[in-house]
Amino acid sequence: MKYKTQREKFLNFGISTLALGFFPLVWFLSQAILFRELTDILSRNVLMILGILVGSTFVFLLFFGMNKIISYSDKDSRDSLEARMFVGPTIFMIGLFLIYPAFRTIYLSFQDRYGTSFIGIENYTWAFSDAEMIVTIRNQILWLIFVVTFVLILGLAVGWLTDRLNKGEAFFKSIVFLPMAISAVGASAIFKFIYEYRPPPLTQIGIINGLRVSSDQGNYICGNNKEILGEIRRVGDENCLSPIGWLQQRDLSNLPFVQNLDQDIWLNNFIINIPLNTLLLMVIMIWMFTGFAAVVFSAGIKAIPSEIMEAGQIDGASEVKVFTSIVIPYIKSTIVVVGTYMVVTVLKAFDIIYVGTRGDLETNLLAVKMLDEFSKYRNIGRSATVAVLIFVCVFPVIWFTVKREREIAE
Amino acid sequence: MKKPLLVSFLLLTLILGACGGGSLEGEEVTITGALIGVEQDLFRAAFDSFTEETGIVVSYTGSDNFEQEIQIQMESGDTPDFALWPQPGGLVDAANRGYHIPLVDLGIDIEDYRANYSPYMVGLGEVDGVVYGGVGSTNLKSLVWYQPDEFASRGYSVPETWDEMIALADQIVADGMTPFCFGMFSNGASGWLATDWMEDIMLRTGEGTATYDKWVTNELAFNDPVVKNAATLLSQIMHTDNYVAGGVDAIVSTSFGSAQDPMFVKDANGNPGCFMHRQASFITAFWPEGEQEFAGSKTTVFGFPVIDNSLPKAALGGGDMWGAFNDRDATKAVAEYMLSLDFFDSIAASPQNSRLSGHAFYPSDRYGSDIYKEFGKIAAAALEANAFRFDASDLMPPEVGSGSFWKEMMNLAVEGPGYVDTALDNIQKSWP
Repeated sequence: MKYKTQREKFLNFGISTLALGFFPLVWFLSQAILFRELTDILSRNVLMILGILVGSTFVFLLFFGMNKIISYSDKDSRDSLEARMFVGPTIFMIGLFLIYPAFRTIYLSFQDRYGTSFIGIENYTWAFSDAEMIVTIRNQILWLIFVVTFVLILGLAVGWLTDRLNKGEAFFKSIVFLPMAISAVGASAIFKFIYEYRPPPLTQIGIINGLRVSSDQGNYICGNNKEILGEIRRVGDENCLSPIGWLQQRDLSNLPFVQNLDQDIWLNNFIINIPLNTLLLMVIMIWMFTGFAAVVFSAGIKAIPSEIMEAGQIDGASEVKVFTSIVIPYIKSTIVVVGTYMVVTVLKAFDIIYVGTRGDLETNLLAVKMLDEFSKYRNIGRSATVAVLIFVCVFPVIWFTVKREREIAE
Repeated sequence: MKKPLLVSFLLLTLILGACGGGSLEGEEVTITGALIGVEQDLFRAAFDSFTEETGIVVSYTGSDNFEQEIQIQMESGDTPDFALWPQPGGLVDAANRGYHIPLVDLGIDIEDYRANYSPYMVGLGEVDGVVYGGVGSTNLKSLVWYQPDEFASRGYSVPETWDEMIALADQIVADGMTPFCFGMFSNGASGWLATDWMEDIMLRTGEGTATYDKWVTNELAFNDPVVKNAATLLSQIMHTDNYVAGGVDAIVSTSFGSAQDPMFVKDANGNPGCFMHRQASFITAFWPEGEQEFAGSKTTVFGFPVIDNSLPKAALGGGDMWGAFNDRDATKAVAEYMLSLDFFDSIAASPQNSRLSGHAFYPSDRYGSDIYKEFGKIAAAALEANAFRFDASDLMPPEVGSGSFWKEMMNLAVEGPGYVDTALDNIQKSWP
């Protein structure tokens, strides 16, 4: 008995080493050294074919061989050994491509611009004192508050209201969901055209400015160089409204209704300083994700048992009361899931800023800022610091989700 | 079984791969850079005659994200043979980190090179006295675009000094029109147009090229009176009422590519939207359809006006610079070709070209369009006299040149003339 147990232990140890050590070693040797050397000698096509052949053959042989070896062990430990065999390579890959870079980025955030010498927490003091970084963090917080709130509210509204429709439910849900089908870059390009600005006297091609410039002011006929009812109405002079660069408005000071506000009152001052361009960029993300929230909430609402709804109505509850006291508590976990997803999406928001304004005029977000520090300013330390900031923001969300999953499982 | 087949196949590929090689025939040289679209096509076509002669295949790939991609490629060791940097700053940075090969290792005669491309330009690609960068193409920036017919029909004359230009602007305003086109918005680079104005002014005030060179290295502080004077003159253009169509809002919101469009469009009174637009030579590529062929006739340039008559005439410009990552024989051959006089011929002859050769002795009559013959003459003359100066914001450290300088110019436009001191102080503070 004792002898067998030792043999078992030895076998277990051997297989674990094989799975977690040998495979990565051979992978490293073949990829990093052999193929790198061959790259200069062989042509690309030959190398590609060779890579595919060697890669697939090796993986096949690995699992085939490991399975054979495991069959020599005793039945009890076979399960755990097979688990280790299958999971081992995956753990190695995740460790190499996710965990190692994460630690290296944290390490780099304490280094200088070339990533070579240690400078302590200087990058972190920069992150919280540099004017641009403060604006970026402010934007990120604004995005988190407004985008998540509006997506949840509008998604709930659409999900609930389409559920109450007699017909046309699928149609309206499809329309609202349609923006999910295009990429963030496509959506940003669409809205960039909507917000487009051309200097006067050029024709406005953005719809907002086009409408603004064409609106008649009192007795003056204003136009946008377009032919209307057979007559060409040219862009007017100073009596007509001039176009506004919407994505370039850092506050509301150019809007007409603001001109008459008394600046000394605190509330008025606050309103004037609302960053208009950031809000307009948020609209893009809200437009994209409301449909997603609506569809998820709609599914959740349909899962509410009808008896409860009817019981509420029999008891004389109004529509609003039904909504707040029955529907919302029932789909609370759905709301949390969608909210979590939106928080992570906002923290990752990149394309909208990159295509919209590329971060100019106080619209920047952390993801674009990280890229700016890396490629524009070539400062590896600061870029890593911004990445760590994003990580620190996302981490609680993930931890909270995992904790909730565990609670549900129990 | 399958095994012998597999082994023999592997052996066969190895043997086949090892054969071949020897002469340069069929060797591939790769270049990456930021040129895309038409410029990419023209650049690729420039190597056709070279490939015919030597058999070396040169493949150029341009990318919007060149600056990110090249960093990653350098760090992973997977570099192409050449990188065509859009400014010398990136090349100097890469050379500092040890990625580039000194040109002397590529068999380039440095003295010849300096004589042909002007010591100043060659010096831009130098680190600690070792030359790493090969001058690529250049563009000219000290130009003001205008339409001679519009001037003639109203009796305006081309200004030669700053005061004359301001007087002309006032005259145009008095006649009820707007003198200047000015648009600074540029995704991620907003504000560079104002920095160009400041650089042109700096070259023509103070001690000319001497103060300019000191300003670029921060030997002359950003809040020095000479720089403040330049910023004040710039503010005169941006902030004087009615000088720019749409005012300060238009300056900040108009994209630089469409900034000159008002010049080609008549408003309700039959007047063009603006009369003068200070912009580089490459703006012709951004003009509306059908206008580019009239560059040099309907729409042409006058040189940026002189401010201080005692200073020699200098020219501001930009340009790209390439660096090599290895010293193979094929790489050497391509490097030598790119520095030769004839390299730019096919690019210059094309009507869609918007660049100039960096060679100081390039015959200007090889350019396809008339206006580029003009530019070519100006650029070559400045290079020969060593009075050609590179765009300062491209030479400064990126936190300033691509960061605070641009941002403070945008802020200056919005805040008004009183902000000049704060803007310059902020930029000076941000210098690393």
